[in-house]
Amino acid sequence: MRIRVLLLSSAFVLLAGSPCLAQVAPAAGSVADSMAGKCMTCHKKESPGLYRQWYMSEHAKHNVTCIGCHGAPRGDADAYLHEGAYIATLVTPRDCGRCHQKETREAEHSYHATAGEILESADAYLAHAAGGHPVAIAGCESCHGAKIQIDAQAENRLARVSWPNSGIGRLNPDGSKGACNACHTRHSFSKAQARRPESCGKCHLGPDHPQKEVYEESKHGNAYYTHIDDMNLAADRWVVGIDYYEAPTCATCHMSATSKQPLTHDVGQRISWTLRPKISHLKEDWEVKRKSMQQVCAACHHEEFIAGHYFQMDGVVQVYNEKFARPAGEIMGMIEQKGLRENPSAFGNKIDWIYWELWHHEGRRARHGAAMMGPDYTWWHGIYDVAQNFYFEFLPEARRFEDPEINAHIDRLLSEDPMHQWIRTPTAETKAAIRSGELQENYRGIFKPE
Amino acid sequence: MVKCFRLLLRGLATNWVGTAGVVLTTSAFLLFLFMELLRLLQVVTNAYVGLISYLFLPAFFILGLLLIPIGWRIYRRARGRSTQELLAERFTPLLTERTRLYGSNLFGLIVLLTLINLLFLGAGGARVLHFMDEPVFCGTACHGVMHPEWATYQQSPHAHVKCVDCHVGEGLDGLVDAKLNGLWQMISVTFDLYERPIPTPVHNLRPARETCERCHWPEKFYGDRLDVQTRYGLDRSSRPHYTTLALKVGSGTGEQGGTIHWHVAPENEVRYLPAVEDRTEMRSVAIQQGDGSYRQYRNRKYLGWAGPNSAAAAGEAAGSPEPGGELSGWATEERVLDCIDCHNRATHIYEDPATAVDRRLEAGEIDRAIPFIKREGLGSLLGSYAGTAAAMTGIARGLYGTYAREYRAETLGLQESLDRAVVSLQEVYQRNIHPRMEVGWNPYPDHSGHEHEGGCFRCHNRDMVDLAGNPIAYDCTLCHSILAFESPEPFQFLLPVAEKDPERSMHQYLQTEFLRTRP
Repeated sequence: MRIRVLLLSSAFVLLAGSPCLAQVAPAAGSVADSMAGKCMTCHKKESPGLYRQWYMSEHAKHNVTCIGCHGAPRGDADAYLHEGAYIATLVTPRDCGRCHQKETREAEHSYHATAGEILESADAYLAHAAGGHPVAIAGCESCHGAKIQIDAQAENRLARVSWPNSGIGRLNPDGSKGACNACHTRHSFSKAQARRPESCGKCHLGPDHPQKEVYEESKHGNAYYTHIDDMNLAADRWVVGIDYYEAPTCATCHMSATSKQPLTHDVGQRISWTLRPKISHLKEDWEVKRKSMQQVCAACHHEEFIAGHYFQMDGVVQVYNEKFARPAGEIMGMIEQKGLRENPSAFGNKIDWIYWELWHHEGRRARHGAAMMGPDYTWWHGIYDVAQNFYFEFLPEARRFEDPEINAHIDRLLSEDPMHQWIRTPTAETKAAIRSGELQENYRGIFKPE
Repeated sequence: MVKCFRLLLRGLATNWVGTAGVVLTTSAFLLFLFMELLRLLQVVTNAYVGLISYLFLPAFFILGLLLIPIGWRIYRRARGRSTQELLAERFTPLLTERTRLYGSNLFGLIVLLTLINLLFLGAGGARVLHFMDEPVFCGTACHGVMHPEWATYQQSPHAHVKCVDCHVGEGLDGLVDAKLNGLWQMISVTFDLYERPIPTPVHNLRPARETCERCHWPEKFYGDRLDVQTRYGLDRSSRPHYTTLALKVGSGTGEQGGTIHWHVAPENEVRYLPAVEDRTEMRSVAIQQGDGSYRQYRNRKYLGWAGPNSAAAAGEAAGSPEPGGELSGWATEERVLDCIDCHNRATHIYEDPATAVDRRLEAGEIDRAIPFIKREGLGSLLGSYAGTAAAMTGIARGLYGTYAREYRAETLGLQESLDRAVVSLQEVYQRNIHPRMEVGWNPYPDHSGHEHEGGCFRCHNRDMVDLAGNPIAYDCTLCHSILAFESPEPFQFLLPVAEKDPERSMHQYLQTEFLRTRP
């Protein structure tokens, strides 16, 4: 195993015997070049997993090494001296953007990039107040992105309250927003990973926005998991209908290239409705955005099919809006206006939580279910829950204030709104109305987006 | 004369105690002579017999000699007569009559026998001490306890160096220490008071420099030592890859300047304060150099917040960065670094399973032609076995079974290789695994290098900072140049840099480092 020789002589014999001695002589490379090799020397042994990820990556093939991304100017807030070089642990979209300019520009302009600005949101208030700071850090900010804080005492100058963090809207010390590794996990930074639904499912799941679960339920998800090996996920070019055709993933519809439009890292560009708020509304330039999405659908579907899907989706979104969200919002407004709440704090009263779940959890589930063809999420996890909540939790809780005006408002709603009249109508009558199509007539106009 | 002797023995056999004494002494003596004769004639060569010849027989001999006067006293008390009367009664006039100038025959005989006894005990004692210096005594006297150390010692680079040469100090002090220590060990073994596996480091080992430097003196370390580590893959052909280190083993006395053995160069002194009892983490390190300069590094983990209940946290709160007064014993005793702080496993070398298989592959004991032999061999070693015997059967059955089932066609002509591999793997297991002492795979980390937790990195880590907060050097190329790093060629980095190789930056860096740092 061990050979004991006088190394000096043997080494020179070896080198002298090599025809490429001239090439072997140290090149007049930049400081960064020579440092790159030094980083790898230690980290190959000390961080073998990380090293191996990098080794197999496209970065390695293109000689993008540790120092290329982690090298930092001495004056940077998070730069520190490590083994003779100034480096920063944090790699921001601005760093990635030195090579990936278009991608960074799109990502920084996307809705994703704003995800970190949540401190003023109701969600953040709830997590901080009802949960606590550690919950906000490990929960909310892990997906949304933390505001990175500098700790001069920390070895890598990053405060532990905000690092590690790879939230998609991370607020970085260099002023940039986002984290590319939210989807392109370090250190392989794989395209294939970002193209898989699991990548998005890191955050887009759960009771309040179950996009991952809806996708899994849908025909799209079904086809994807069946034909995952034929998806050509690692290919350089990934055009739906050309490089793969079995199924779309999240990335396919929201980001990837088609034969007619290029890839975009601005994820909102093909979304026409916003399904997030209490009441959904159509986004600015929604027709253009919808057209972009429909153009993706067209890789596999006929335009009549696509139009039909949007017709059905618009209907559900507007039923949610008009039948439940708007009336519930009006009642909450009245309670607020009259100052009926016992505790002055938001979420300090039961009705706050009931209303919150109505729109933030159940209402979103229904809308996402309809948008991505998840029938169970549209109904049983969606509007069914909304209805049960609305009729038997929200309205009774609102009546508990015993405010005559509110009670009269609720009575009027249930007796005059044709969508709610069923509750005071004998079952047989309603059934007959369903059979005759009379009940459905109440919803005739609701399919057209407004 | 013989008749006198017989009469004496008969007279001494007063009661059962006296008789036992006579029988023990006489038979031990005769047996000893017989054994020695056999040894000298080389009929008996087994070193284990020394245990009987040099320990048990002299012990019985002395016991017998003690029993004879005890028996006599009991006899006298029982009979209630004077010694004179009893002598007359027990021994024939032939023995008791004053016939000579110096007294009776009995007296003469006793003097003569005492002289013989003294001679025998003197010579025997010397033989006993000599025997106790033999490795076979250390290794087998406390058979179960010492078995792991004995097994590894016999296969070590120091197999020809006696245990006592390293474990017992110089001079009478060392001898007495060792015997007292041995006494305690005997008690521990008898009453089962020892830990399993035996904890390290051995705190009362004789000073290492006095021992090791008789053969390995610091001036002897200069230049480089080439270490080619061959590792085999888990693929079908157990493909080798290499890590080659040019270890900068100099002591700083030569032209090249010192690196690894700089620590023990005559002009330097390195001292450390351990943070944990097994010395795998240091609290501080101090260096006194030849020119009188003095540098200290302290582990910042013990300066700052090291945990809610740590002594350091309490110390910090009190504004005292030094180890608090609550520390005692090993934690306050600064130790001068010597050979065994790094070469703690120079002899009793336990192997990691993967390394063990790699070594056998490299030595040719295991044939790479057998498909997946690294993977299968390693798997067989890592099986969970009820004991050594079960392991021997398990390893053999497992491997023969696998190859008969999965690779029958490919191993048709390799039966002999397979047999050899099985034996080799069984030997690996026997060397390294000792269930009785609860010794599993490599319970003792080797601190020469940094293959395991600790080693060089106990001091050379980023937490060890000087007073200005700068960490101690811990560069990869501080102590060795790297000429291959899990590479397909043993001297990969001396070859030209390949344009498309992802590791080309590292290749270039390490090549330059090697060429630049050599005069």
